Amino acid sequence: MKIFKVFIVILLFSFPLTINLKADSEKMALGLEVYNNKAMCGACHILKAAASEGNIGPNLDSLKPLEEQVRAVVTEGLGVMPAFGEEGLLTSEEIDAVSFFVANSSGK
Amino acid sequence: MKKRIIKKIDTSKRNFLTGSVTLAGVAAATSVLPISFANANHKDSSPKGLPDFISWKDRNALIVHSDKGIETHRSAIGESLVTPNRNIYIRNNMPTMTDTQIGNRNNWKVSIKGVKNPKTFTLAQLKKLGHTTMATILQCSGNGRGFFAHKVRGSQWKTGAAACVLWTGVPMKLVVDACGGVNGDAVFMTSAGVDHEPTGLDPKKAKVERSVPKKVFKDAMLAWEMNGVPLPNAHGGPLRMVTPGYFGINNVKHLGQVAFTKTESTVKYMKSSYRISPIGKKGSQYPSCWEMPVKSWITRPTDETGTVKAGNVQIVGVAMGGTKKVRNVKVSIDGGQSWKKAKFVGPDLGKYAWRQFVLEANLAPGNYNLASKASNGGKTQPELRMENRRGYAHNGWKDHSVNIKVV
Repeated sequence: MKIFKVFIVILLFSFPLTINLKADSEKMALGLEVYNNKAMCGACHILKAAASEGNIGPNLDSLKPLEEQVRAVVTEGLGVMPAFGEEGLLTSEEIDAVSFFVANSSGK
Repeated sequence: MKKRIIKKIDTSKRNFLTGSVTLAGVAAATSVLPISFANANHKDSSPKGLPDFISWKDRNALIVHSDKGIETHRSAIGESLVTPNRNIYIRNNMPTMTDTQIGNRNNWKVSIKGVKNPKTFTLAQLKKLGHTTMATILQCSGNGRGFFAHKVRGSQWKTGAAACVLWTGVPMKLVVDACGGVNGDAVFMTSAGVDHEPTGLDPKKAKVERSVPKKVFKDAMLAWEMNGVPLPNAHGGPLRMVTPGYFGINNVKHLGQVAFTKTESTVKYMKSSYRISPIGKKGSQYPSCWEMPVKSWITRPTDETGTVKAGNVQIVGVAMGGTKKVRNVKVSIDGGQSWKKAKFVGPDLGKYAWRQFVLEANLAPGNYNLASKASNGGKTQPELRMENRRGYAHNGWKDHSVNIKVV
């Protein structure tokens, strides 16, 4: 009985965690997709997690930007980098995903 | 998770990024400026902690914001007036050209247009036209951005995106004379680099082409040496435009063309980037980053140099007048409540160089806020920064002050 209660408790706590992990995994996958294809970030940036070797913008593995920093620069652009948000080149969901992906994969 | 998501980029799609693609908005899907950095002064993965293209620099003199944005420590800009090349900051909009891309340096070509007789000169030919050496301040438009309170994208420079450099080259005026003079209807001198060419990016978005008022050519020069050595590739070698008194971006690297034009360049780096606009606004109607304002800052002692021993202390710094000669500089040890005139020391290298200053102060144990305030006769440094969207042209003395502890 006691073991059963412990099992229930673990299940209750792990359920939201499982959902979160799944959501994070999906967000990472979408982020990589946006990085590689729609936004083509890799043409200009180095990021091992995406196997990209661009050398025009900063090396993201060295930079290790925070998610909010990626979101700001992807939205508003900087220098030759387009304003993906302001110019409507990416949706807000895609910007969120690519920001999450870069912030959580750079330097790893 | 990482292994599952790794997927090779389809490099065949990189053609998408060339200038001829139809989706122009994505054509230059690139980032050049380093974004604000959470852990500045990180170590690059290379053994020396610096990117390969500047592995010859002094790592201890530098703050690494990213592999493309590297700042000089406040205490390392040069105690002997001129900033050593190994300490000078790095801020490049395009990747530094390699020796292979540059080829034989003496065969490097620059075209001169908007003159009576347009010509193309090789570097070897320029060396026969004339010769001079001049000291100027090289300063990034965003130097001091790190002091702004609003969230500004871009490297968070404090004082170290600046240097005093001795350039050697040919006066632009002699080049113009060799071409029969400037066309009468010209309003701007427009300089263009060629460092975007190897990238294949759309020139409208990637070419570093900068227009400055035509009058600038009278003091400008085409430089092939920097502090006594051939201009390093990382600083725009083999040939660079030098526009004295104007922000760094106008000193175009890897120079391929100088044209005297009726209108400003329409590339992104002229039309929309480097505009000093109010926070929340942007556009080409706002002033471009051209003339540098009067500015100074203390280089020793600073919070970087640790606690200071009580007694006589030499408070040392640099002061620049922008496009005018710096006339005086005052120093405060009490956060700006009272000021004393500092003494200029060392040689005067001309109005476009900075002057070193020193004030001797007898300091008892305690905490001090040291500030400096320069004047070029007409203008004096303001107390506060001029708020603007991208954090450009900061010359307020308060933010540039330093806190020290005397024991």
